[in-house]
Amino acid sequence: MSGELSIPQAVIAPELAWVGLAILLPLLSSVVCALCGALRVKNKLPAIVTALALAISFVIIVRAYFAYAGPVEVPIFQWMSFEWGSGGRFQSFTANCSLYIDSLTLYWMLFVTGLGTLITVYASEYMESDVGGGYSRFFFGISIFLFAMSALVLGDNLAMLYLGWEGVGLASYLLVGYNYDRPSAVAAAKKAFIMNRIGDLGLALGIFMLWANYGTIQYSELFAAMKNGGQTAVDWHLSVIPFLLMLGAFGKSAQIPLFTWLPDAMEGPTPVSALIHAATMVTAGVYLIARLYPFFELHPEALATIAWIGCSTALLAATIGMMQYDIKRVFAYSTISQLGYMFLGLGVGTSFGACYHVLTHAFFKALLFLTAGAIMHGFAGQLDLRKLSGLRHLAGWRIVSWTMFVGCLWLSAFPYTAAFFSKDAILLQALTSARADFRFLGWMGLFTAALTAYYTFRVWFRVCAGPLHFEGGNEGHGDHDEHDKHAAHAAPAAFHPHAPGWAIKGVLLILALGALVVGVPAYKAVFLHETNWVQEMIAHSSAYQGSGLGSGLGSGLGLGDAGHAGPVSHGDAHTPTVLGMDAHTGLTVVGSTASIGGILVAWFFHLRSRKSADQLRAALARRWWLGWIPTAMENKWYVDELYHYLFRLPLWFGSQILSFGDKHFLDGVLVDGMAKLPLALGRVFRPLYSGALQGYAVTMAGGVALVLAWVSWVWLRGMH
Amino acid sequence: MELIWLSIIVPLITACVIAVGPSKNARTTAFVGSLLSLAALTLFAWNFPAWKNGQHFPMVAGADWVSGAGVSLSVGFDTVSLLLALLTAFLMPLCIAGSFTAINDRVKEFYGWFLVLGSSILLAFAARDAILFYIGYEFTLVPMTLIVAIYGGTERRIAAIKMFLYTFLGSMFMLAALLYVGWEHRLASGAWNFDIDALTATAVRLPIATQYWLFAALMIGFAVKVPLFPLHTWLPLAHDQAPTAGSVILASALLKLGTYGNYRFALPMAPAGGAELMNVVAVLSIIAIIYASLICWVQTDAKKLIAYSSVSHLGLCMLGLFALNPIGAEGAVFYMVNHGISTGALFLCVGMFYERYHTKDTDVLGGLAKRMPVWACFMVFFTLASIGLPGLNGFVGEFLCLGGTFIAEHDSQTGYPGVLGPWYAVVAGLGLIFAAMYLLILLGKIVWGPLREPASHASHASHGETHSASSTLPIDLGFREIAILMPLAISCLWLGLQPKPMLDAIRPCAERMLVNYPAQVERVLAESAATAQVTAPITSSETSSNSQ
Repeated sequence: MSGELSIPQAVIAPELAWVGLAILLPLLSSVVCALCGALRVKNKLPAIVTALALAISFVIIVRAYFAYAGPVEVPIFQWMSFEWGSGGRFQSFTANCSLYIDSLTLYWMLFVTGLGTLITVYASEYMESDVGGGYSRFFFGISIFLFAMSALVLGDNLAMLYLGWEGVGLASYLLVGYNYDRPSAVAAAKKAFIMNRIGDLGLALGIFMLWANYGTIQYSELFAAMKNGGQTAVDWHLSVIPFLLMLGAFGKSAQIPLFTWLPDAMEGPTPVSALIHAATMVTAGVYLIARLYPFFELHPEALATIAWIGCSTALLAATIGMMQYDIKRVFAYSTISQLGYMFLGLGVGTSFGACYHVLTHAFFKALLFLTAGAIMHGFAGQLDLRKLSGLRHLAGWRIVSWTMFVGCLWLSAFPYTAAFFSKDAILLQALTSARADFRFLGWMGLFTAALTAYYTFRVWFRVCAGPLHFEGGNEGHGDHDEHDKHAAHAAPAAFHPHAPGWAIKGVLLILALGALVVGVPAYKAVFLHETNWVQEMIAHSSAYQGSGLGSGLGSGLGLGDAGHAGPVSHGDAHTPTVLGMDAHTGLTVVGSTASIGGILVAWFFHLRSRKSADQLRAALARRWWLGWIPTAMENKWYVDELYHYLFRLPLWFGSQILSFGDKHFLDGVLVDGMAKLPLALGRVFRPLYSGALQGYAVTMAGGVALVLAWVSWVWLRGMH
Repeated sequence: MELIWLSIIVPLITACVIAVGPSKNARTTAFVGSLLSLAALTLFAWNFPAWKNGQHFPMVAGADWVSGAGVSLSVGFDTVSLLLALLTAFLMPLCIAGSFTAINDRVKEFYGWFLVLGSSILLAFAARDAILFYIGYEFTLVPMTLIVAIYGGTERRIAAIKMFLYTFLGSMFMLAALLYVGWEHRLASGAWNFDIDALTATAVRLPIATQYWLFAALMIGFAVKVPLFPLHTWLPLAHDQAPTAGSVILASALLKLGTYGNYRFALPMAPAGGAELMNVVAVLSIIAIIYASLICWVQTDAKKLIAYSSVSHLGLCMLGLFALNPIGAEGAVFYMVNHGISTGALFLCVGMFYERYHTKDTDVLGGLAKRMPVWACFMVFFTLASIGLPGLNGFVGEFLCLGGTFIAEHDSQTGYPGVLGPWYAVVAGLGLIFAAMYLLILLGKIVWGPLREPASHASHASHGETHSASSTLPIDLGFREIAILMPLAISCLWLGLQPKPMLDAIRPCAERMLVNYPAQVERVLAESAATAQVTAPITSSETSSNSQ
């Protein structure tokens, strides 16, 4: 068993308070941006300040990484904490502004701040048409986003996590609804916030329940308490907690059943999408589960649920992504799908695979969104992949095309790309699991990988390859706003896209390079048989599977008894087999086949013979038992509509009824009726009174009389 | 002590000065008067010795007023009442400044009555004598009714009369209960005395059945004021019709008299009754939370929507209070203050666009962020505070109230058993989702989206003319309006980020309020277990042995 690796007790280290600057700096930059907005600054100052703040945060995290020696707790100031009674456990509530720094935190913060900086630099050019207008507001939102995400990751307790959790919700609300005069953007922002709120409620309840059972919500104390087992007598309490936390994670990370907000969230400017999809927000759910992994390990049934939901989401989102025409929408569904893989990884017991996939995904997804943004920026909002073709032949667009190609290769997990290894780690764990249903999920994941390769390259072959032709969108972007618009309307052929500048291209190149670099740990592991750096980082944090708390469960999950010291320990003698081959080789073969097969299919239908795609669709449509499938996929399996009719509409009707009842029954009949009673009485006593206030006088007199009667009755009762 | 009286009397004197002075000076005089009152109270709070140690009313003193009846003019604060009084005094100048352009007729009367209103609320919070409290509590109705009836909307008279009668009737129950306790005190000690501590000491010794009814009577009185479902229907109408300043003070200070009454009278006086009825109140609170927030969803009137949201929010506050443990009680008190700030600010924001457009119909008006970006920033900010975004003030109270409810279980290890528990928190927590829903829908309609202005206003604006009332107002917020909202925004942020000092101040008071509850709740639980034992002897023998 792998019980030897337990989480080291965190040391209190106030001298590390400078790491807190990583939270403070984005907050400060948000204040500066707000001031810029108030003073109507008409230059790029907000972007510069934000980028600088984030870059310094990144440097701070890098410094912290090199100074790291073991888990530490850094108290900063007291936030919500108090005690009562004797002040012992269960008689105090502590939620301070303190940091918990272990390797998982650092790992996460490295890419959050790093990618955040890059995306900000990109956005400084992308948003330049709004300078003096919404520019400050935009970077205010970005700063809040990074502030919240840093608080979420660095906080030493679940209340801090909750603060960040809601904070990223707020930031996404502000940024998705950035173009607030567009009703669809407002609706998308609202939807994102509310769906997240549903998850947040689960998280909040989970936090309360953790407190009720362990008497603390600080990580280090929680882990210590978990070692001693739960404190409660009620078993169902404990087993419900992971499901509540899961609801929170699924809301934030867009999994079934709370995934529908994420595709709509692309209403925001593209850098926001990149930020949401890659670095911040959606990875928060994975972080939550990874952070509390020891706790989840105590509940195998919860982990199994995570695996099932993750894998189902991956498949569902991939099928939807296959039939979308909007480039950003395809990428949005691919995010949901990839997040599904991460949850699959967590569920089947490889937190390493999940966290590694978060990293690789962060890079290639940021890259993909930013290339899509560059296209949108240059082509006046055009994102329909049917109206763009062969961009790689267009001068000034080569870098965009080829960096997009890199992103697509990574997304489709092409053999020996970084994402191939991270996905591999997850699927390997699933396929070699002792549980049959996990092995099934592994195959399902492989099937989804093929679909992923198909829909990814469907985009690339359509947009970047093939004969050159394009139409401009109808939306102004960039400095040739009006000109573009008129050109687009007058004659599509006369449309002049404007190629991206160096802030955009530079960031794309750096991201492409980054996507390559994050593969290095895996290459080292495969070719040099060194330990994977990511695995090292995860293994020394609370996210390590079999971290000593859940010992005895490993066999049930196929963690320990399958002979894995670690999920990608190559050359292990007891490695189970996949398709009769050594598991690792087998998976490499099958995974590569899935990826390349998908790409080939996409090549055939979307580059070699684009007509055949339409013919296939038409052929499918002719068969009643197949024809509905593409339509349903195009319409996102009608999940939005389902929610609308299942939840929103009945609630809305109920509210109308309640509102009517409140006004006309509760107030109208009961209250006013009561008030009329004295009037009726007053009519009886009319000879005695005169004047307009008689009704009220009688009310008062009657009331006093009633009260007196009641008092005497109470008194009589009290006497004996 | 003198400072307390000063803060109560100064508004009254100012009201008199306004009454005899010229009407063009009324605004300034009122503003200065309310500032002086705030200054006196702040000075008192500055030197308040009990912020940290939680001493009980260190400044109690007072002359006998009606000595034969044991009524004295004693005033004093504990941290809870001081916080609420500070809130009131803090909002008064803001409300007065907010009315400068909104009130143009019968100006003298308005500011005069408004100051009287503030004064009587302060008296109610400061009173250490039950009768003095009652006088302050009840007298608030007179100026409030007049403010609604004279300066309100089209249905102002109905609204005013309904508000007056409804709350008056409710407080009759409360008065009867207080008189009854006073009488019991006389039976026990031989003399009349209405000192709150003396009454409480008497009341807790009453038999259980008596306490039960005592609690019910007090509860009914205060529930109308809170307002608790189903006694809330006077509130939306009153809010809808009241002028902005009236709405603000109604939501922020007057309603708090209800929750404060529960905190000060109902809960400490009748712990046996409170323990028996806590689940009833909790259920009503939860109904209020869900019911009111669903109604909010379909409101098209911005002010009514916020009024119903008050019902929902105060339901959560009551739930926290009746969790009967320190987390919940502390959260509830914190929530009282914060609801006052954020809801008051929301009413002010609504008032500001109402002054410009003369409508609060969200179907007619929309997309104001285009026209009034500064106002939109404030509106969004206060809405988020009201939704309970962490880092802003609303969150702390909400989180603690829900948390307190959650852990109020029979086997709670906090030392404070309860009969609520996770399920109560789950259902109440749905309110958080609904709150986000209706408030964001409100934002989506009036702040975001394409610009929609009432037809008359748009045509006037395009011709370069403006309404007579809005002629003095800039398109976006002016300096005065920003200066009104700024202090509120700062306190939202400060209390959200640094709630610790206030929580520390509240804690000893909350603990003292709950001092009798653990034993009483144990008793109720044991009784219900015993009842269960009669019906099912085998299963419940275990539970009763556990509880012992």
